[in-house]
Amino acid sequence: MKKKRKLVKQIQYEIFFLPALIAFTTFTIIPLIKTIMYSVTDFNGISHEYRFVGLKNFIGVFQDEVMRQALFNTLFYTFCTMLLINCLSIPLAIFLDKKTKLKSAERAVFFFPSIVSALLLGYIWGYILSPLPTGAANSLLGVFGLSPIGWTSTSWGARLCIIAVAVWTSTGWHATVYLAYLQAISTEYYEAASIDGASKWKQFTQITIPLLAPGFTVNTLLLLTNGLKVYDLPYALTKGGPGFSNYTVTQVIIQRGISEKQYGASTALATIFIILVMIISCVQFMTMRKREEDIS
Amino acid sequence: MKKQKEQKFFLSDFILIPICVIFLYPFYYLVINTFKPMQEMSFNPVAFPTQLFLENYKDIFAQGQIYRAFGNTLIITVCSVLLIVLIGEMAAYPIVFNANKLNNAFMVYLMVGFLVPFQAILLSLFEVMQALHLIDTIHGMILFYCNGSALTVFLAVGYMRTIPRELTEAAIVDGCSVGRVFFSIVFPLMKPITATSIIFNTMWIWNDFIAPNIFLNTRMKGTIVLEVFRAKGQFSVDWPRFMTLSVISIFPIVVFYLFMQKHIIKGLTAGAVKG
Repeated sequence: MKKKRKLVKQIQYEIFFLPALIAFTTFTIIPLIKTIMYSVTDFNGISHEYRFVGLKNFIGVFQDEVMRQALFNTLFYTFCTMLLINCLSIPLAIFLDKKTKLKSAERAVFFFPSIVSALLLGYIWGYILSPLPTGAANSLLGVFGLSPIGWTSTSWGARLCIIAVAVWTSTGWHATVYLAYLQAISTEYYEAASIDGASKWKQFTQITIPLLAPGFTVNTLLLLTNGLKVYDLPYALTKGGPGFSNYTVTQVIIQRGISEKQYGASTALATIFIILVMIISCVQFMTMRKREEDIS
Repeated sequence: MKKQKEQKFFLSDFILIPICVIFLYPFYYLVINTFKPMQEMSFNPVAFPTQLFLENYKDIFAQGQIYRAFGNTLIITVCSVLLIVLIGEMAAYPIVFNANKLNNAFMVYLMVGFLVPFQAILLSLFEVMQALHLIDTIHGMILFYCNGSALTVFLAVGYMRTIPRELTEAAIVDGCSVGRVFFSIVFPLMKPITATSIIFNTMWIWNDFIAPNIFLNTRMKGTIVLEVFRAKGQFSVDWPRFMTLSVISIFPIVVFYLFMQKHIIKGLTAGAVKG
């Protein structure tokens, strides 16, 4: 009797897990298994017969010019945004770290692009950086008597514009994360240091910087995973152009997979992409765990 | 000790204020051009409008599509966010209060799924959605977004561990069922996580482009971001019209931001720090 009651209770508990389990299995796990399965077969979406082809599709990814370019672009974008946003958001957070009304208004300004859809931000910048002389940036140059610039009309120009706009959109968000860590530093450390005669600069390098290290880990790993997943902004800004020179991995997966139904090629690229993101996320998870253990 | 007079201006403000002005320039550019006719904008895109021209706004509001897009986005966002919070916090409950091997396995299972970027599995996800007849439906979008509850599960597990066991055990001894303990004791205590989760997911779903673009085909069912996307093609020459639609589209989320500003920054950083 008692055993039965315990079992009933167990089942009641497990029911709470059920909705999440169903949603997850249907929309993540099953598609994931199918994706991996397609990536090692010659399935074409129509015929029911397909064979195991090993790593043929994966080799195809590295032989495909568009896919290679997309992998390069995504990695380049990820690396540059990670570097630039970190370099800019740390000083920005330090500048914003005072509790005045003016500072909170400034914080709101820098955070603002984070609440608008990246697609829209890409379009606005697309108009500003229009290669035509009537574009906003070019007409501003015209005021100073300078000739118009092509901005996004060359592949490297577009690549750098995309990175610059991404820095503009995300620096405020990441500065806010740093700010949270800055404000968690107890003022007692600084008081003790100034009693001991430490200079402001010494306090900054010996107290602030080391205590910002966990914020740096969080921001860097977020920038890496978000960078690899990028799609909206470059798509809105240049449509991946000129040509396919600025395609991102996500854009190729969507184009080859959804539009052209090239199962093998797009799922092989997707699998490489999943592995990349998983490695970075695992590193993130492990460093968090380690830090939690260090603290406790 | 002498109390220091509160300082209102800092040296850094002299650097930051000009940067703020430059930083906001794209939004200035966006807003001023909504008050210009097409010709005036192409003639001088960066100047202040010479007259208050409201035709762009009148035109957009005269079409029913804008209301429909807002309605769809609102339904999808509100329903998805509520379900995500409910499903996520429910899933955390057995993991914390009935820890056993099965639940640990569930946690790992969620973790694996959480790490998979959804755009990577889009092709097979599309097939699954098609098989379930969820393509091009509002409820299909809502069900799809429920998938995003993993982050909420992780945040909720962390927070739920801080709830004293005595509280729930006492209730069970008093004859409270497992379900009631959750809904009347645990869930109300989860407010900080509920707030964080609502903020995170609202901003994601409201602004999402990839999923609606792939799963919603008919314009009637489109979201506001899709409407902006379509307008870009449709008004490719009529920039002021497009910009007006853009301004209207970001208005609700700006209002959300202004009201929730403190919570947003606290919630986003809490989520980033923990997740």
